[in-house]
Amino acid sequence: MRALAAEIRDKVIKEVGKVVIGREKEVDLLLMCLLARGHVLLEGVPGVSKTLVATAFSKCLGLQFKRVQFTPDILPLDIIGGFIFNLKSREFEFRKGPVFTNILLADEINRAPPKVQSALLESMQELQVTVEGHTEKLPFPFMVIATQNPLEFEGVYPLPEGQLDRFMVRVNFRYPSKEVESDILKRNLSGIDVNDVKTALTLGELEALVKQVDGVKVSDEVLTYLARVAEATRNEGSLVLGASPRAMVQLVHCARAKALLGGRRFVTPDDLKSIASDVLTHRLTIDQAAALKGVSRNPEAILTAIFDRVEPPR
Amino acid sequence: MVSNQIILGALLVLNAALYAPLVFTVFRRRRRKVNASNLADAFNGLELALKEAVPDLPPGFTWEEAIGRLRASGVQTKGMEEALKSYEEYRYGGLPLPDLDFREVVKVANMLGGTRGVRSGGASAGR
Repeated sequence: MRALAAEIRDKVIKEVGKVVIGREKEVDLLLMCLLARGHVLLEGVPGVSKTLVATAFSKCLGLQFKRVQFTPDILPLDIIGGFIFNLKSREFEFRKGPVFTNILLADEINRAPPKVQSALLESMQELQVTVEGHTEKLPFPFMVIATQNPLEFEGVYPLPEGQLDRFMVRVNFRYPSKEVESDILKRNLSGIDVNDVKTALTLGELEALVKQVDGVKVSDEVLTYLARVAEATRNEGSLVLGASPRAMVQLVHCARAKALLGGRRFVTPDDLKSIASDVLTHRLTIDQAAALKGVSRNPEAILTAIFDRVEPPR
Repeated sequence: MVSNQIILGALLVLNAALYAPLVFTVFRRRRRKVNASNLADAFNGLELALKEAVPDLPPGFTWEEAIGRLRASGVQTKGMEEALKSYEEYRYGGLPLPDLDFREVVKVANMLGGTRGVRSGGASAGR
């Protein structure tokens, strides 16, 4: 099964690579997150293939996929669904919204007002939807892949801390290197078709892998190490808000998925350290007063300094 | 009247008495080798050797980072990496300590020099 995880990872990266070049790390994080039952926030300026990666990734999983373009006038009803009066039966009946899918692509999530953003909270946390006392379970697996452009300020509603905390991972889409960009240009000369992406795993395989993640061992010493890291983030002077217990739990789950995809049945400090930035930085709030005094750096640098200070079990 | 020769002799003896322990310590330190009896001992010795030989390695370093540094310095780490896989299974995976060849790990630790031996406690050594 361990070999199967690594094999599936290679297949997914290969299939997505048919339409997107140079995003292996990002696809790897998406897969980790799916196996760890998490949600992903893709962040980057327009045109860096965020939506294409999300679409190709969903395609190669062979799961049900829906895309919602978030706009300022969108309503919670447009996402989670609601009760509609059926003229034939003369009764109100629940009509499911696009959230009832396996992979929901919430494109430009920060363009929707907070009311709509928070409508997703229950779905993301409890994997269910409640409307007027009526609760509906979401299908398995359920994953939200949201995208946002960090440089837009006009007409956007920044995600509140509580909503950000629901995303297991924030993946930063940076500009590609010169070499990769050259390949992208070459590839685009002949056109790209997402339909070229083939299904890389069955639902049964996915279910088995998700169960396997739960079986990945995390030693007490590694957990103690994580608790010391969490404490260090909370005592860090240049941060107003350190890592929450939920953040640390998600870091452990994600590290378990990483270990499984790496062919191991246990988590190492290397697993944690290598993904910590992707899992934690969007949950850390910089102290603006410290930032004004020039004390603070960016969250990545602060987190790196913390991990450099806290000694792991070796 | 004490002759100059006696004063010179006394000074020589005094110098020898003063510097001998220092020279002895330096030589002993240089000669100290990792003396591991199992894989865990070998990695404990390597950890100490790394801390001494690479002072800019942060306290929170991981094995992967340490190996990366060694590799960048031109140290052959292939054998050690193989041993690390088994050591990690024991250390983090809860598997029994494997009876493996750990000479490659000891070799790297000794090559780093300035080591102070390994922590006692064999398989149970560690933090």
